Amino acid sequence: MKVVWSWLLELVDLDRQPTVEEGARALTAAGLEIEALTDLGAGFTGVVVAEVVAKRPHPEAAKLTLVDVITARGGAATQVVCGAPNVPEPGRKVLWAPPGATLPGGITLATKPVKGVPSPGMLCSETELAIGDDDDGIIVLAADDATPLGAPAQQALGVDDWLLEVNAPANRADLLGHLGVARELAALIGGRLVPPSIALDELTGDLDAAALAAIAIADPAGCPRYIARVIDGVTVGKSPRKFAQRLRAVGVRPLSNIVDVTNYVMFELGQPLHGFDWAHVAGARIEVRRATAGERMTTLDDQERALVPEDLLICDGARPVAIAGVMGGKDSEVSAATTRVLLEAASFDARSVRRTARRLGLHSEASHRFERQVDPALAELASARAASLIARLGGGRIARGSVDVYPRPTTVAPIAVRWERLRALSGTGMIDAIAIGACERLGFAVESTGPHTAQVTPPSARADILREVDVIEDVLRIVGYDQVPSTLPRLASAPRHTVDDRGDRARRALAGAGLAEAITFGFQAPTRAAALQLPADDRRARPIPLRNPMSLDQAVMRTALLPNLIAAIARNRSFGRADGALFEVGSVFLRKDAGTGEITELADEPIHATAVLTGLRPAWLGPARAWDFFDAKGLLETLVAALVGNAPLAFERATDIPYLHPGAAARLVGPDGAVWGEVGEVHPATREALGVDGPVFAFTLELARLPAAAIAQMRAIPKFPSASRDLSLLVGVDVPAGEVERVLRSAADALVEAIALREDYRDAKLPAGTKSMLFSITYRAGDRTLTDAEVAAAHEAIVARATADLGATRR
Amino acid sequence: MTTTLALVAELEQLGSEFDGVIAPLVDEQAIRAAQAQFLGKKGRVSEAMKALGKLPPADRPTVGAAANRVKDAITAAVDRKLGELVAAARAADLARTIDVTLPGRPHHSGHLHLLTQVRLEAQAIFAELGFAVAEGPQIETDWHTFEALAIPKDHPARDMQDTFYLSDEIVLRTHTSPVQIRTMQAQRPPIRIIAPGQVYRRDDDPTHSPMFTQIEGLCVDENISFADLKGTLVHFVSRFFGKSLAIRFRPSYFPFVEPGAEVDMACSFCEGRGCRVCKQTGWVEIGGSGMVDPDVFAHVDIDSERYTGFAFGMGLERMAMLRHGVNDIKYYYEGDLRFLGQF
Ligand SMILES: [Zn+2]
Repeated sequence: MKVVWSWLLELVDLDRQPTVEEGARALTAAGLEIEALTDLGAGFTGVVVAEVVAKRPHPEAAKLTLVDVITARGGAATQVVCGAPNVPEPGRKVLWAPPGATLPGGITLATKPVKGVPSPGMLCSETELAIGDDDDGIIVLAADDATPLGAPAQQALGVDDWLLEVNAPANRADLLGHLGVARELAALIGGRLVPPSIALDELTGDLDAAALAAIAIADPAGCPRYIARVIDGVTVGKSPRKFAQRLRAVGVRPLSNIVDVTNYVMFELGQPLHGFDWAHVAGARIEVRRATAGERMTTLDDQERALVPEDLLICDGARPVAIAGVMGGKDSEVSAATTRVLLEAASFDARSVRRTARRLGLHSEASHRFERQVDPALAELASARAASLIARLGGGRIARGSVDVYPRPTTVAPIAVRWERLRALSGTGMIDAIAIGACERLGFAVESTGPHTAQVTPPSARADILREVDVIEDVLRIVGYDQVPSTLPRLASAPRHTVDDRGDRARRALAGAGLAEAITFGFQAPTRAAALQLPADDRRARPIPLRNPMSLDQAVMRTALLPNLIAAIARNRSFGRADGALFEVGSVFLRKDAGTGEITELADEPIHATAVLTGLRPAWLGPARAWDFFDAKGLLETLVAALVGNAPLAFERATDIPYLHPGAAARLVGPDGAVWGEVGEVHPATREALGVDGPVFAFTLELARLPAAAIAQMRAIPKFPSASRDLSLLVGVDVPAGEVERVLRSAADALVEAIALREDYRDAKLPAGTKSMLFSITYRAGDRTLTDAEVAAAHEAIVARATADLGATRR
Repeated sequence: MTTTLALVAELEQLGSEFDGVIAPLVDEQAIRAAQAQFLGKKGRVSEAMKALGKLPPADRPTVGAAANRVKDAITAAVDRKLGELVAAARAADLARTIDVTLPGRPHHSGHLHLLTQVRLEAQAIFAELGFAVAEGPQIETDWHTFEALAIPKDHPARDMQDTFYLSDEIVLRTHTSPVQIRTMQAQRPPIRIIAPGQVYRRDDDPTHSPMFTQIEGLCVDENISFADLKGTLVHFVSRFFGKSLAIRFRPSYFPFVEPGAEVDMACSFCEGRGCRVCKQTGWVEIGGSGMVDPDVFAHVDIDSERYTGFAFGMGLERMAMLRHGVNDIKYYYEGDLRFLGQF
C-alpha cells in the first residue's frame, strides 16, 4: 500500500507534528513495515513558480514565443524563449527552470540561444518534469493558484511530499486505505482521526436516488451490502493537477474526474467503488447475482470473459455490467459522453472475489482489497465522500439520498479481555491502565467488567480483532514489543525424544573419511531419474511429478541421490576439477502406489547416504592413484562401522543393478540378511547420460535398513600373547576371495582370533588356472599362552579344510 | 718348557693382541666373534691355559690371576668398543637432515557442508536450552502445512505462486511448521523441539532458492510467555554470532502465531551502521516468530487456556550467509567443490 504523507496527515489531528522519518519509524515498529520512503519531488531541483508579465512572438520563428516572467512581485522580468502553443496571458503562473535548475534525466539548464535569442532556461511541461504525460504544452497553474511567486515548483504541483510504501499484513484490509494507516499513526503518536470532508448539501429535491436506481441482492452472502448513489449532470473531464498527482503517486494513472474520484476514495478509505454510466444501465436497475452457466461479458480491458456459476455479477435489467469486486464491464463504462453516474459502494465476500479474480487472472486494486474483506460499514462513508467529490470535480448534482441494501448489518461483538492474561502471555508486568490506554488510542471501546477484566469493542474496520489474544497483540504492538523483557523459559523436563541421528553420524563419518558433503535439490529433471535405466515398474523410475514446477529441471522429485551427485561431478569437471569425492545424505522420495501421475498419499522418504568418487585420489608428492572399486567398498565399510560397529558384512556380486557396471558391482548384505546398500562402478551409460566421460565409483547405504547402534560394551584386553602363522595357498583362479575366506573361517576353532588376507597374486609362473593367496592367521587363547603344538594343530586343521573344500594346495 | 713367566707373558701378549684385532672392527658381530676367538671355550686364552697343568702348583694362582686380568681387559675392550660403535651410530643418525620445507603429507579430511555445520551448531545451542530435534516429511499434506496452522484454503497468506503442489491435497512443505503440528499431535506438553529441514517455495533469485533450509522451534508448557520467546532468540543469536548483536522484534502477521513478530538482528556486516547487505537499514531479518495461536492448539487438541507456547522459524542459509559472507544462495546447492572445500 502506497501512502502519501500529506494525505495521511489530512486524516489525523496529531498531538504533535512528526517528521516523515519519525512517522515511518513509528509505523515500522508497530508492524507496518515501511519498505521505501521516497521524496516525490526529488526528480527536479531549482524550478520555480513564475508569473508571465508579457509575451511577444519570436522575431525569427513563428512557433516560438518570447515570454517575460517575474519570480517576485515588483522584481525584474526575465525573457525566456518558449516553444509551447499555450503560453498564457500575463497574470498567469508558469513553472520556470532557470539556469542551474536540474530536470529528470540529469539535465542541467543554462542560457542558450534559441534561433538567435538567448533563453535563460525554459518553461516546463508535465513530461519535462516527469510528473504527468501531458506534453501538449507548458504547465499553466490554475487561475486561483495561491502558490507564492518564486516558490519551488514542487509546492505548486503537490510533489513537495513523501511516498511511504507500507507492507501491510495480510489480515489488515483496513490498512489498504490512508484512513487505516492514519488510525495507526494517531494511536502511535497520540491524536485523533479526522474523517474526510463531505459536502452533500448539493442535494436537490427533484432527483431521488431510489427512483433512479432499483437495487436487488439475490445473494446476500456474496454481497452483504450495496449502496447506490446517482450524480446527475456531470461533465467528464480532467481532474485538477494536485488531485491527479496523488493518484500518480500511489501508482494509478489519472483517467477522468469520475474514475479518478472512485480511485481516490479507494486509496483514501480502502473501499473500492465503481461508477457506471447510468444511461447504459438498462432499466435503471441493479441486481447482484451469481453467473449462470455459459454467461459471458466483456470487461473494461476489452477482454471477453467466460463466466462460471460461482462468479458474482453486477447486472442491470438485461445483462451483466460488472464482475463484482473484480472489474467493471465495457458497455457501462463512464465515458466522455456520460452525464449521469450511478456510483456503487458495495461489500463482497472475500472468498468469492478471490476465487473469481484468481480464475480470471484479474488482479485489480479493487479485488486486492475485497479479497481481504472490506468493512461493510465503510461503504456508507465512501459513497458519500465519492459523491461529494464527483459533484465538486465534475460539476454534477447529487440525487437525494442513496439506495442502501444491507439485509443483515454486521455488528461488532465485544470481546472479554483479562488483563492478567495479557501479563501472563506477554511476560510483562504491564498495569491495566497502560493496556486500556493503548486500546483507546486504537479506537477500541473499553468497558471495565471487574478487577482486571474488561469488554473491548474494536471499530468495525478492525475485522482482524475477534479474540482476547488479538486484543493482547494489538496492545503489545502499540505499547511496543521493545517493552517486553527477555527471559529464558523455565527448564522443564520435556519427554526425551529418541532422535534418529544416523544421518548426521553418516555425514561425520564420510567427511572424516575425506569426502566433501553436497546438498542438492529435492527435485530434478526427469532425465536424471531416467539415467538410472531402471525398468518402468521400479518405483524409482516413476518419480513424483510437481504440478507447478518452475522449470523442467525441477519437474520431478528425486528417487535416488546418485544422479544429482554425478551431475555435480560433471559440473566440477566442466571447470577443471576432474578429481573429486562427494557425498550426500538426504531424503529420496518414493511413491507408494503403482502409478506415474499425481500422488494421492504421502511418499516414502527414506534417507540415503550416497557417495561418488572420480578421477585421482588425493596424493602427496609423486603420482596419484585413481579411485577404484575397492576405495568405494572400503569407504562403505567404514561408514557402516561408524553406524553400527563392526558387524559382519557380506558383499554379493550384483550383475543386475542397471546403473552399475555388471562386472564391478555388489550388494551389501547385513547380518540380518537384508540388503543395506550397494557399491560399484557407475554404468558408463548412466554417467554419460549425466555428462561424465570417465569412471565414477559409487556406493549407497539406506540408513533406515540399519539396526539401531547398540551401546558398545568393552571386551577384555587379552592377557596372553598371540601367535601368528602365515598360510600361502594356491587356489583356483575363479574362486572368489570371499569364498576362500569363508572356508578358512569355517575350519577355525576357538583359538583363531583373526584371519587376514595379505596377498592375492596372479602370475604366469604359477600353475595354470591358479592364483596365490597369502593369509595371516592369528591364534590366541584367553587363559594361557598357546604352545607351538597347539597352534600347529589348529593351523593344520585349517589347511586341511582348504585342501578338501577348495582343492587348494599349500605353497 | 713353558715357564710360569713365559705363560704370564703369553697371556699378556694375547691381551694386547686383542686390542689390535678389534681396533679396525665396525660391527658388533665381528667384535663378538673376535671376543669368542680369544675368550671362548676353545679360544686362545683357554688354549694358552692348557699349559697351566705343567706348571708348579705354587705358581698357578699367579697365572690364574694373570688370566683373569686378561679376560677382564678383553671384556672391557669389547664393551668400550661396542660403546664407541653405538655412539658413532647415534652421531651418524643425528647428522641426518631432511628438507622440512617440503609440503606435509596431507591427511585429506573431508568437509561437512556449511549448512550442516551451521545446523549442527544451532541444534547444539538449542540443546543446551532443552530443545530436542524433531523431523517431518518434506512432501506434506495441505492440512499439516496450512489448514492446521490456521491458513485455510482461501486465505490471502496462501498463494499458488509460492507453493509447489503435488496434488490438490499434497504439497512440498513451504515451511518446517508442519513439524510443530506433527509433534503436538504425537506428544502432550511440555514440548520443546527444534525442527530443521528442507522447505520449498516458488522463488528463485540471488537471495531466494526454490529449496532452502529452515530451523523451526516450538516450546509449549504452562506459563510460557512472549518474553521467553525474546530471551530464547536473543540467547541463540548471541551464541551463534559470538558477539552481542542487538535484536529487534517487529510486530508481524503469521496466521499461526499471535502475537507475531518478525525478528531483526543488527547487521553483522556493518554492526548496524548500514551497508549493502542490510540495504542501509542496519537491520537484517532472520526469521518469524510468535506465540502459538489458540486456533492451532485447537487443531491438535491442546488446551490453550492451560498451555501457552512460542514458535519461531529461521532460514539457515541466511544465518550462514550473515556469518560466513556467502553472497549468493545458489552456491549452497551446486555441489561445487570450490565452494564445499572452503568450509
Ligand atoms: Zn549492514
